[in-house]
Formats: sequence, C-alpha cells, structure tokens
Amino acid sequence: MTTVDQPVRAPAIAMTTRRIGIAGIIFGLAAFWIALPPLTVRSVVWPILVALAALAAGIWAVREGERRIGYGAIFSAIFGVALGYFATQTSLGHLNIVIVWSAILAAMLRYATPLTFAAIGGLFSERSGVVNIGLEGMMLMGAFFSVWGDVQFGSWEVGILAAMLAGGLLALVHAFFAIQLRIDQIVGGTAINFLALGITGYLFIQIYGEQGTPGSIAEIPDVRLHLDKIPPHALGHFLDGAIGQLNLMIWLSFLVVVLASIVMFRTPIGLRIRSVGEHPRAADTVGISVYAVRYGAVVLSGMLAALGGAYLTLGFVHSFNEGMTAGRGFIALAALIFGKWRPFGAFGAALLFGFSSAIADRLALAWGTSWQTLFQALPYLLTLIAVAGVIGRSIPPAAVGRPYKKQ
Amino acid sequence: MGPDAPVVLELAGITKRFPGIIANDHVDFDLRAHEVHALLGENGAGKSTLMNILYGLYRPDEGEIRINGKLAHFTSSKDAIEAGIGMVHQHFMLIPVMTVAENIVLAVEPTRAGVLFDVGAAADRVREIAEQFKFTIDPYARIQNLSVGQQQRVEILKALYRKADILILDEPTAVLTPQEARELFGILQRLKAEGMSIIFISHKLNEALEIADRITVLRRGVKIDTIPREGATEASLARMMVGRDVLLTVEKTPGVPGKPLLEVAGLEVFDDRGLEVVKGVSLTVHAGEIVGLAGIDGNGQEELIDALTGLRKAHAGSIRIAGEESSGDSAREMLETGVGHIPVDRQRRGLVLDFSLAENLALRDFRHAPNSRLGWLFPNRLVARARKLLKEFDVRGGVPQTRAGMLSGGNQQKVVLAREIDRDPKVLVAGQPTRGLDVGAIEFVHRRLLSERDEGRAILLVSLELDEILSLSDRILVIYEGRIVGEFPPTVSEEELGLAMTGGGRGSGEEAA
Repeated sequence: MTTVDQPVRAPAIAMTTRRIGIAGIIFGLAAFWIALPPLTVRSVVWPILVALAALAAGIWAVREGERRIGYGAIFSAIFGVALGYFATQTSLGHLNIVIVWSAILAAMLRYATPLTFAAIGGLFSERSGVVNIGLEGMMLMGAFFSVWGDVQFGSWEVGILAAMLAGGLLALVHAFFAIQLRIDQIVGGTAINFLALGITGYLFIQIYGEQGTPGSIAEIPDVRLHLDKIPPHALGHFLDGAIGQLNLMIWLSFLVVVLASIVMFRTPIGLRIRSVGEHPRAADTVGISVYAVRYGAVVLSGMLAALGGAYLTLGFVHSFNEGMTAGRGFIALAALIFGKWRPFGAFGAALLFGFSSAIADRLALAWGTSWQTLFQALPYLLTLIAVAGVIGRSIPPAAVGRPYKKQ
Repeated sequence: MGPDAPVVLELAGITKRFPGIIANDHVDFDLRAHEVHALLGENGAGKSTLMNILYGLYRPDEGEIRINGKLAHFTSSKDAIEAGIGMVHQHFMLIPVMTVAENIVLAVEPTRAGVLFDVGAAADRVREIAEQFKFTIDPYARIQNLSVGQQQRVEILKALYRKADILILDEPTAVLTPQEARELFGILQRLKAEGMSIIFISHKLNEALEIADRITVLRRGVKIDTIPREGATEASLARMMVGRDVLLTVEKTPGVPGKPLLEVAGLEVFDDRGLEVVKGVSLTVHAGEIVGLAGIDGNGQEELIDALTGLRKAHAGSIRIAGEESSGDSAREMLETGVGHIPVDRQRRGLVLDFSLAENLALRDFRHAPNSRLGWLFPNRLVARARKLLKEFDVRGGVPQTRAGMLSGGNQQKVVLAREIDRDPKVLVAGQPTRGLDVGAIEFVHRRLLSERDEGRAILLVSLELDEILSLSDRILVIYEGRIVGEFPPTVSEEELGLAMTGGGRGSGEEAA
C-alpha cells in the first residue's frame, strides 16, 4: 500500500527537556571533576550533591519522554559519584601525579591522531558503500613503509609518500576484490589485514632483522608554538602544555577532518560519493560511474589509514615493530560508527578513545600497570555502548557492504 | 500533434536475447513530437526491456535507435540523458535520506567557486521548474518523508532538470492511489502541452485509452500493432495483448448465501505506531458469498486483514470462524480453524521468493502428513504435490524446483491461490488479489474466486479497485477511517461508492489521500 508515514515532529517543549537532560549529563561528569585537581574537594558530600542534581535532571527527562538523554544523565550521575568517591579517597599525591590536565590533553591528541586518520579514511570508503575492515592492515603498511622510505632516502617526507603509496596499493587490492569480484567485504578486509601482517612482518625481518629499525630515523618534526606568553599565566601555561608542542601530523589530522567534512557535505564529489553509498543504481541511472567512485574512495581510505600508520612510526614511537598497530584500525572503525559516519563525529569519538588511553597511561604512573590495562578496555566498552544505540542510533549508508552489479 | 508531427524517436528492428528467451524480437517503435504513446503489454511482454535499451541500460543485439533522424549509440544511461531522454523508473531511483533538490541535481550539480556544491542554486532551479509545470514541491524535503505520488514528481523533475524532451514512464500508476494517478495524468497533459513527447508503459487498458494518443501493443517480445486511440476499445486491446478474447467482466450468477462463516463484532485494532485504526468493525460473511470491502488505501484495511488472519492481535472485539470464537488466536491457529489468506504484498508476505515453488506450496502444511512425519520432511512428496497444483492452477514458467522469484506476478499469485485454496478453507480473506496483474491473470483470479464462492466458501475481498469490487461482490461494505460507513448491493453506482469512501456526505471533492 502506498501510505508514507510522516515523521512525528517533536514539539517545542521537548527542546527544554533535552537541555535539562544534557545539563544532567554534565552535572554527572562534574561530580567527578570537582574531586580532581585543581579543585580537589576532599569531602565526598560535594560529589554526592552534584550527582543528585544530575540524577534528578535525568529522572525528570526520562519522565518527560527524553528517555535516551535522561538515562544518559542517570548513568552519568552514578558514574560521577562512584569515581568522585574514589577520587576523594585517594591520596592527594597520587591525584596530582595522574591528573595533569595539559599533559592529558596532549597525550589524548597523540593517541587520537592515528585513529582520526584511519577513521576519516574509513568514512570515505564506507560512505561510498564499501566496508573497509582492512583499515588495520592499511595502517600497518603505512607504518612499515614510512620507516622504510624514511631510512632509504633519509627524509620523512619520502617516508610519508611511501606510506601513502603502500596503503593505497593495499586498498586497491581490497577494492578489486570488493568491487570487481564482489566478494564479501568483511572476508576480503580480514584477508587484507592478514596480508599486511605477513608482508610487513616478512620485510621487517628480511630488512632490519634482529636489530630492529635503526635509530637514525628522520622524525616528523613537532610544531613548537610558544603559547606560555599568553596571559593570564595559568592559561598560557596550560595551553603551552596541551598544544604548544604537537607533531606536525596532529595538526594535519585536524586539517583532514575539516577537509573531509567540506568534501563530503559541501561539494558535488561528496554528494556523488554519498549517493553511490546509499543507492548505487540511482547514481548509475544519472550517469555516475559507481565503480570509479568506489575505487577512488577505497584507495583514498587506504592512503589516509597509512598516514595514521606513518604518524605512529615517524611521529610517535620512532620505530617499527611487527603488528604494532595493535587493533587501532578496528578502533578507528568503531570511532566511525560511534561518530555516525560523520567527520566531526568520528573525530570526537577518536578524541574520546585517545582520552581514555591517555588516562590509562597516567594511571600507570601512580598505581602500576594493572590499572592501565583495565582502563585501556574503556574504548571497547564505549564502543559496545555506542553500537547498542545508547548514543542515538547510528544508521550506516544504505548500500554499505553490498556489491554493485551493473545491469 | 497528429500524424504530421515529426518523429522524434525511432526504434527499428530492435532485438534483444537473454539466455533462453527473446525479450524483443525485431520491434519497431516510433514517437512523434508532443504525443503520449502508450506501450501496452502483459508482464513479461518485453516493454521494460525495450525501454531499458532506449535508456542505454541494455545494449540491443540487433536494430537501430534514431533520435530526430540521427543514428544514436547508447552505451550508458548518460548517453541517453544527453540525447534528451528522461526515464521515470517503476522503482524510483531516489535516495531516501537526501533532499529533493539533491536528488534532482545529482551528477549535474550547480557549483559555487568551482568546487562547492551550491545548495541554494539547486533549490532555486528546482522551484523554478516546478512552477513552470505547476507542481508544488519543497526542495529541502527529504525523500523518505514524501508520499509515493510526490516522489514520482521528483522523478519527473529530475528528467526535466536534465532538459529531457522525451520522457519514459515505466508503469507509473502501479504504485499510486487512484487519486494520485489522476494527478499524474493532469501533469502528463501539461507536459505534453509544453512540448514533451511521452512514452507511457502500462498493462492497464483503461489508462492507455485515457492518456495516450497512440498505442503500441507488445506480446511475447513481438510488436503486434500500433493504433491510434480513436476506435480502440478495452476489448480490442485486450485481444491484442493476450492473443485471444478476454472476458473483462466476469459472468456472475447471484450467490446463494448459507450460514455465517465469518462473524466479526466490535473489532478494534491498533497499527504499528499504537494508533487505533480499526474502530469497532462488525461484519458477517456467509458461506457462498463474496463480500467486497471498498475503501481508499490506509483506512484500516491492512490492519483489519492482519487481525482476521491472526497476524496482529485485536485490541477488542470478537472474531468467530464457523461459529468458533477465534479472537486472540495465533496465525497458525487461525489457519487450522479454516482461514485462507491472500496477502496484499505477495512478494513479501505471500511467498518466500528464494524458495522453490514446491517449498512455497508447502509453507502451510509442511507440518502434516504426507509432507512430513515425526519432524522429518519428504521433499519428493512436496514436489509431487506441487506438480499436481501447478497443473491445476495453470502456473506457467516454472516447475516445482523453480525459485518463486523467477515467476511473473500473475503466476506468483496463482501459486499463492493454489496454496490457500488447496487447504480447503472455510473463510478466504483476499487482499487486493489482482494488484499489479495483467488482464489474463486478473481474469483467472476473478473466475477462481467466483468458483470458490460457489463451492461454499465465505470470501472477504478487500480491494482498492472499484471495478473489481463491483464485478465480484454479492454485497459491498465501505470502510472509512476504520469504520464501516455503508453497505451497498452490487448494483450501486461508482459515484455513490466513491462518495461513501471519502466519508459520506462530507464532500466528495475533498482529498482523502
């Protein structure tokens, strides 16, 4: 039958309910925050009071029909009071070691950058309708070949080019199987990951052998901004610590996010990529080459993921090890889903994952590595929550994962 | 217009072979300027193949295409678009999550500063074209929020935006309500007046006679003839399409109603959104009687059918099958009690398209002997049974092992009929049983329903087609906004029925879609 359901529009009152619910979420986080430096309240009463406000806002929002945000606020209140209690019971010395905000932010950006590159890569691929579970492998290729190019030619610029070439080539293999041969994209992507593991592992042993990659790698430079001059002194000091000395690639990743957003949503190219990912036959009937668009998008995704790998080696740890990407490609894929297939959404998710890695690192400074290990599971937990739909249902492009066959 | 108008498009000797069949066998076709040319034929006659060749989606094996006298070679739809051909596909080629403007300008986007997509200019252009042809459409609306009729207009605008002067419409009314179809015809008349040449593909005789200047009939890939509308009748067109005389209105003797088999009282049903859409329906269908339920789409018919067949729980009220209280029964219990169901959407609810015909025919009875015993299925027996049923119901184009999806719509419906009738149901609920079928298949279904009535079954016929209701029913009920608003004898006029369907005396001119 031919009736089309009109979407139920939320009445104006819902906006205020939403705001109160969101305020509840913020209060819940604040319950934890006030127990941390620099405020560092030492009485558990304060976190409890603030969390109660969050709880009240949450319950009200749920009763007014904003269930998702309301439950978010309630969850945030429970979370906040538990962590707040924990913080007040901890020695000040430990807290001051762990919670150094500027250092946490800088570390967050370092951890987030490889994820950002790969997630934006995944964005292009998936928006064009090709699932790219091979991001992990493409990143690994980038990581290895950036080192190889760098060492071979003594220049990190060549290293980056080599990484993009290698990542792009591996993506081309994926594209060929997924688009031309129409094999299952999950299976193909998995094969790509093992292929990359094999190629890089073999070459690593062949070329660098027992000694590992040489120490004489030309590193991608940091961008040194002298922000400590900014008044007031506390702010300047904070900014300088957080972003005063970031790697060039981190700044590049910001640029990539902005560019990706413009290309995807403000240009004809983006419109065409999205149309191919949503309804390839419709795109085909207006004369868009579905195959060409998909090839382009997948190869670009491989290059971007490889940039993430290049940052990892040339900008972050300055060496290569077998399998060193350690699942970052998959986390980037999760960030993409978490971010609802949008550049800034994916970036935000990457930052969140980076943040939890940063916290985990600093926890280790005070308590040792067992806490670190526990905390490193947080991104995965967050992903599960996100995929389960707590953050709002994440709707993938309609044709993602479905091979297209021309008539 | 008229015979002197120049020929803008010519197809000469087009032949297209697919493995096992010749879809088009040396077909000639021409389109004159400012005419509506209907391409008529049964499902599978080769209409769509011919048009897909014209639109560059298929390459012909033989034959030529000439546009304004010049030979054209299309290797993709892009070539066809550049030659001024626009196509409105039966299944719309629109992207649900994008806006009207984005869909229309896709691949020919206006830009700002050379690289940026100019959304504002796109919307302006869409509005401009829409106004020229007196459409109303919001360029920023998302396709998924539009009615089917509006979506079709977007498809037409898409062709106009690309400066098409030849427009192909593939079965454009198949998805429309009667009201929307009326509006479409108005639009087509305006397009014609503005200088467009239109190819109108259909299998509905009355539509071809209403809208077309000339009519070309295809049968099994062969062109039968091209005739002017003047002088053509439904009967003559039907004979050309099917190749034999077709009874367009079935011969019907008055029914002999027996005892009541379906008794519904005060039935209330909610839809998926939790809104009450069936609001206290009471009706009775006797043995040996066809009761037609007329109404405009979306007045609670679907939910009523669901409740009667156990697919949806009624909120209140009672359903008695042959005197046995059955409300609240599951679909299987309803089945066992003796309800047969011909679903509205045969491809999604009537058949499992990826299953074989034998499996589809056993969907109801696979649990019982001789089909299975102690949970063990006997495939050979399914096949033997299917072979018998396919023969009895004259299902063509398939053996028991054929996938159901391979059959034409008419033959698929015959499979559904075979399955439901073979169970010897007391009550048969038929939802739009001839939707999308061609004349030959419609005739078969109608005859079969009447003969089942004469066997003593109680048949509830739910249909949007007034012709069908009027020609088959012994009594007619009209449903409007979830209530039965009138009962009529089959001699009632269409006007009177139409009035009741739009809410009785509340003005027949009001739009009820």
